[in-house]
Amino acid sequence: MKGFTPLVLGILATLAFSWLGLAYIPDLQIGNLDPQSDEEGTDIYPMPKSGMAERGRRIYIANGCFYCHSEQVRADYAASDIDRKWGDRRSAPRDYIFDRPALLGKMRLGPDLANIGKRAPAEEEAAPAQPGPSNPAPPNASPPAANASPPPANTAAQQNAKPAAQSPAPPAPAASPAQTAAASSPAASPRAANASPPPANAAAQQNAKPAAQSPAPPAPAASPAQTTAASSPAASPPAANASPPPANAAAQQNAKPAAAQPPTSPVPVASPSQTAAASSPAASPSESPALYSAAWHHQHLYAPRSLNLDSDMPAYKFLYEKRRFGGEQSADAIILRGEGALGEGWEIVPTYDAKCLVAYLMSLNQSHPLNEVKSVAPPAASPAAAKSPAK
Amino acid sequence: MNPTEIPLKSPGSVTDLSIGEVEQVERALIDASTRVPVLMFYASAIVWLLLGTVLAGFTSFKLHSPDLLSNVSFLTWGRIRPAHLNVMLYGWGSNVGMGTAIWLMARLCRTTLRHPLLLVTGGGFWNFGVLLGVCGILAGDSTGYHWLEFPSYVAVTLFLAYSLIASWAVLMFRFRRGDPIYITQWYLLAAFLWFPWMYLAAQTMLFIVPVQGVLQAAVNWWYANNLLFLWFGSLALGTAYYMIPKVIGRPVYSYHLAAIGFWTYAFFASWTGMQRLVDGPFPAWMITVSIAAMILCIIPVATVGLNHHMTMRGYFSLMRYSPTLRFTVFGAMSYTAFSVLGVIISLRSFARYLQFSEVSVAYSHLGLYAFFSMIMFGAMYYIVPRLVGREWRFASLIKIHFWASVYGIGLMTLMLLAGGMVQGLNMDNPTLSFTESTQSVLPYLRGRSISGILMTVAHFVFAYHFLLMLLGLGRTASVPTFLNPVNPEPGEMVAH
Repeated sequence: MKGFTPLVLGILATLAFSWLGLAYIPDLQIGNLDPQSDEEGTDIYPMPKSGMAERGRRIYIANGCFYCHSEQVRADYAASDIDRKWGDRRSAPRDYIFDRPALLGKMRLGPDLANIGKRAPAEEEAAPAQPGPSNPAPPNASPPAANASPPPANTAAQQNAKPAAQSPAPPAPAASPAQTAAASSPAASPRAANASPPPANAAAQQNAKPAAQSPAPPAPAASPAQTTAASSPAASPPAANASPPPANAAAQQNAKPAAAQPPTSPVPVASPSQTAAASSPAASPSESPALYSAAWHHQHLYAPRSLNLDSDMPAYKFLYEKRRFGGEQSADAIILRGEGALGEGWEIVPTYDAKCLVAYLMSLNQSHPLNEVKSVAPPAASPAAAKSPAK
Repeated sequence: MNPTEIPLKSPGSVTDLSIGEVEQVERALIDASTRVPVLMFYASAIVWLLLGTVLAGFTSFKLHSPDLLSNVSFLTWGRIRPAHLNVMLYGWGSNVGMGTAIWLMARLCRTTLRHPLLLVTGGGFWNFGVLLGVCGILAGDSTGYHWLEFPSYVAVTLFLAYSLIASWAVLMFRFRRGDPIYITQWYLLAAFLWFPWMYLAAQTMLFIVPVQGVLQAAVNWWYANNLLFLWFGSLALGTAYYMIPKVIGRPVYSYHLAAIGFWTYAFFASWTGMQRLVDGPFPAWMITVSIAAMILCIIPVATVGLNHHMTMRGYFSLMRYSPTLRFTVFGAMSYTAFSVLGVIISLRSFARYLQFSEVSVAYSHLGLYAFFSMIMFGAMYYIVPRLVGREWRFASLIKIHFWASVYGIGLMTLMLLAGGMVQGLNMDNPTLSFTESTQSVLPYLRGRSISGILMTVAHFVFAYHFLLMLLGLGRTASVPTFLNPVNPEPGEMVAH
């Protein structure tokens, strides 16, 4: 090798060349994507996340969640991500345009989370399925209908999810159409079979929450969501919801004594009479929250193995506060049974960080169709299977 | 053929007074000028190595015992793991690499190191930056980018410290005596120029003027892979090109092969990175380009491997005696294994199963430990005695270090490969629940923890031995410490 200059130039040029090819040119190609919208300029996707969800992203990063959870769904021909119900379509660059950083992940010691918010039980089923305010959930035991969730409406659903999750008041998202959760609980029970030994106690626990406060909490859910047409039905569940609270207080009280009992089968929830008032007191309080609901996430973060004995996730107890309460228990308290049950007068409540983290999880949703990507499930059809136990 | 006269001198032939003495004195002067900074880099590297090893132990144990120490926020798995990674990358790897590179540069440029205290200052700032960064990660201040988790304020410190260090290394190159540039110098110079290039580009595109969405991941992997190949890889290859001929006392087999190896490496290795994102949300061409580059990397691997092999031919028996040679040759062989594994796991048909499995951890460890770190250990066994003027105290400790490291990394690689395959296959089978895949890898992760214990032993033994050397408790002897008693005819043995 002769000479210093050619050597240095060559060294610099090789890396510059690769930078040009792998960073600069891709930036020209996909570096300036805009959100997608329909002709009227509505139905915009994706949208920036709420402040609380963005804060949740920092918590997610700070605790290294992305080392075990990816946020990308690969195409159906390339992997079985879609067969695992991690999403209806592969992820595309446009899904991430507001993400900073985009946490694609490189390891799956935990399941993919790209659509974990979509897989939450309540909102997105409620929004499209609403026939009218008087009948918030479709006739009982019709999971397919509840599952249909025509994608156009999803934005609304998603919108609902966020503000709802945000309200500093107890996890409202689950609260809004709690009875839909009940309606879908037939679907929930098979999930429970593989995920959570003590199966879902959707109605009881979630309904319990509004109980603690006035019927007001669902309201924030309704307000910001109005920008989109499809969201109007969202206003209805709060109304419907407002009724159960009185009854729930009792249910909640039941919860504690019930803690001592061994978990029972989810029979009560599985027979949803679809009016919330009916479902909640009937529900056995010894069950866990509905899979992927906010309450479920909180319990899962606090004590993963209380929901799935085989979970390899560390517990994030430091995001929760164990405290004594006088009088009434907090509405968002985590209810543990069996070994983890607390002594009388103690409760576990999420810190603000934990709420943000769950808000972030609930905001993860790539189910909105994109023009450039083919969805596996045609949007209009009702992919009952596509929504069933996502494992 | 042998422009820098590296290999032909043997310490045994001190009786040759004609040119031997002049060169001996000259080398002694050069070594003396590098003593303080290089020892400082080495000492801090070893401290980080121990810390990183402990963190690695936690990381590994927590994977199969998730409740271990999980109640404290800064000890949660998701913080310990990046802390371990960054300690190893920037604390251990970069420190030991820079120390070795400075010593090699001084030797090969045949010039004394000017103003060593400035280098020491740079090194001090570097270590301060790493410390700050690790604390930042543990406190929850991670940026969320792989291998770039240090908060931005740390990046500034690191970059300034690095500029101080690298400019000295490059300046040394300007003051070199003798015109031909030896192979090692290509690699070292390249590493010193590449690192700031990629670091600056990544920092700019991720933090200062962030690119949109998924491109962050692309830039991130471009950086991470280049850090692995062009920074750590170049440092290790450059060192191997020095140590192997030097210890066995033969010139490098072919200069032309070396040149081909170097330029193809620079050209192809720099294009890899996206193969970690197979079928991710990217234009397919980006990933395909990287897979192709990965496959083409076989060319530099083959040429470098062939070159080392032909140089070593007939001299493999010397590995019985020389610690340096033993570590270096093991590292050079691991380079081949590392590259072949890299090609395999980047192919789409394999990536489908292995991409999100523990196999990628095996791959990283093969590159950073079996390849890079082992070569660096070898270099330290060579360089430290020349800096402190003592020989290594116990051959037995060197042997323990070697075998514990080799069995440790071997077991770890096997466990993670096998476990990762099981995990990946189960993950891709949608009839099994997802938990099945994480459960099935647990036995292998326990095995990996055992391998970690072996490596922990190796590192603490090595640190103890190094401490003895620092304290001047090494042997005072004219012969280097051999691993086994040298046969009666030492004329065959050149250098050590």
